[in-house]
Amino acid sequence: MRKIILIFVLFLAIDCFSQNKQILYNFTSVPQSLMTNPGADFKYNWYAGVPLLSGISANVGSSGFSAYDLFADNGVDFNVKLRNAVFSSTRKDKVAINEQIEIFNGGFKIAGEQSDSYISFGMYQEFDMLSYVPKDIAILALDGNRNYLGKVFNLGDLSAKAEMLSVFHLGFHKNITEKFILGVRGKIYSSIYNANSTNNSGYIYTISSDTGVYEQMIYSQLQLNTSGIAQYDDQDYEPNVAKDITKRALLGGNLGLGFDAGFTYYPKKNIQVTASIIDVGFIKHSKEVESLTFKGTYKYEGVIPNFSSGNSAGGGYQEFKEAIPLDTLYADYTTWRPAKFNTSVQYSFDEERPEDCNCLNYDPETTYKSAVGAQLFVMSTPRTPLVAFTTYYRRKIFKALQMKATYTLDSYSYKNIGLGLSSHFGPVNFYVLADNLLEYSDVTKANSLSFQLGLNVIFKNTKK
Amino acid sequence: MKRPALNRVVGLLILLVFSFSCASDLDYDQANDLKLEPIFVANLVYFDVPANEFVTNGVEQSVIFDTPTVDVFNDDFFRDNLKKVEFFFEMENTINRAYSVDLVFLDNNNQRVHATNFSVPAYTGAENKVTKTEIFENAQLDLLKRTTKIVFTLTMLPGATLNENSSGRLKLRSGVTAYLVVE
Repeated sequence: MRKIILIFVLFLAIDCFSQNKQILYNFTSVPQSLMTNPGADFKYNWYAGVPLLSGISANVGSSGFSAYDLFADNGVDFNVKLRNAVFSSTRKDKVAINEQIEIFNGGFKIAGEQSDSYISFGMYQEFDMLSYVPKDIAILALDGNRNYLGKVFNLGDLSAKAEMLSVFHLGFHKNITEKFILGVRGKIYSSIYNANSTNNSGYIYTISSDTGVYEQMIYSQLQLNTSGIAQYDDQDYEPNVAKDITKRALLGGNLGLGFDAGFTYYPKKNIQVTASIIDVGFIKHSKEVESLTFKGTYKYEGVIPNFSSGNSAGGGYQEFKEAIPLDTLYADYTTWRPAKFNTSVQYSFDEERPEDCNCLNYDPETTYKSAVGAQLFVMSTPRTPLVAFTTYYRRKIFKALQMKATYTLDSYSYKNIGLGLSSHFGPVNFYVLADNLLEYSDVTKANSLSFQLGLNVIFKNTKK
Repeated sequence: MKRPALNRVVGLLILLVFSFSCASDLDYDQANDLKLEPIFVANLVYFDVPANEFVTNGVEQSVIFDTPTVDVFNDDFFRDNLKKVEFFFEMENTINRAYSVDLVFLDNNNQRVHATNFSVPAYTGAENKVTKTEIFENAQLDLLKRTTKIVFTLTMLPGATLNENSSGRLKLRSGVTAYLVVE
């Protein structure tokens, strides 16, 4: 059992990364594909996710180094491995974790005269962490400044954020015409805690000087915003973390609003175009906020006696603390959710013979067995947006089993092959999707992995 | 008939993924071995005294002094992790007089923890520099960490009389190299 937990944790720790759900996107045999495009072409009478089991997804990625690079049990000194990891990465490299668990999820159809409308709703919990490699600061900590005279250490390398939140959502999609499906989804975010330090700037440099031995300058504009954490600092406070989290998850946290929107369009019967934008929204942090700042400029000249007046400068450390004070603020702040944009083009072929459809009530709308397509994913980050490009092949293997295979190019990997399977036995839908399959030969060396799995109950009309 | 076949396929696929996947042994306890050994350089002390500061109202002041406070050793982190220190001094004199320069490091109780002296010859037109390097480790370093102020005493030795228009400067540049070990 312990081993299973370990493997699962490892999965969570290594396996997930950027929130790019390239296998799930437009994989309309799975209801959760609605979460990546509220305008997905997914038809049902009603469906319900098995609570807590309908949608489990995790994503971990590290573009600069893998868990193996740092923690391999290979006899190499940890400090050597750490140096190698730091010096081989760049300030653009990042470590990211995303995890989502659906608490509940469901949907039903509202029959219309012209066309049907579909409602979907649910709640999920999400954890998000993203940190860039603070390379310059790591070099200062590892080596100091002696061998780096003239180098300007960039304090803006420090950029990280973490958040746990719960999301309540209500979605609607409708066939506007035979060829065009439009969907929107409203979301209420309830932030359980948030910490972010993403708008940092500043520098430290040391150069040779004629006046002193060195000219040494620190300019710092560092700020860390937190919400939902401050109270744990208070020694008198007796924490009841489980109760706090439950309360904040159920709309008792810092609240925010957002929306998703998307469409599916068939210019021809066998050609499909889709696009969606997910998590356009913000959270206003006003409860239990605490911000720490380190802002100022300081030029260090050393101890300077003044023989003529007796008013000598010399309290260097005190001067530094006054020039760049550590301040605590309690001001409200707003964070934006990482917005995600997806789009795809798909060409379907291999038309299905109608008699194949007689025995099962499964997906009578699908008239093609196979499809190929391409997808683009863009996500906003504190710096340049993250972009991933995917090509895929989708195939109905049996009447009850659909498969989607993907090949994805992104900043983490250029050989990311993923596979998704969705099975329907009667009304029961089980799906499992995983990417970076080539890395499964040794998951510890993977730079990124992600998986999603879940269990749903779906009822569809046999006709229409 | 088809369902058992299907189950077999799905079962096989899942089995395949998990049997081919494996993980190297990872040892997260290694993080406890973390040892940082940065080396920092910074200015230590600096002064630049023009010749006329040794003259007040036309009268030579043969001794001038000042006692600035030094608080870099007040910081616990620095004090705990500092393992070795190198001082580098460079005196440059362009005044036509010789000097004896004393730096005395005092602790909170005004007890001397370290002292250093420079004999600086008078300027005769050629480059006139005196340099010195001092290294502190172990017990000597522990003593140095008690420093809270430095007494600077500049003593002008006998020679040709200076007036308020005399040229030249007495200049001290010094840097410190601090070897930290953080475990």
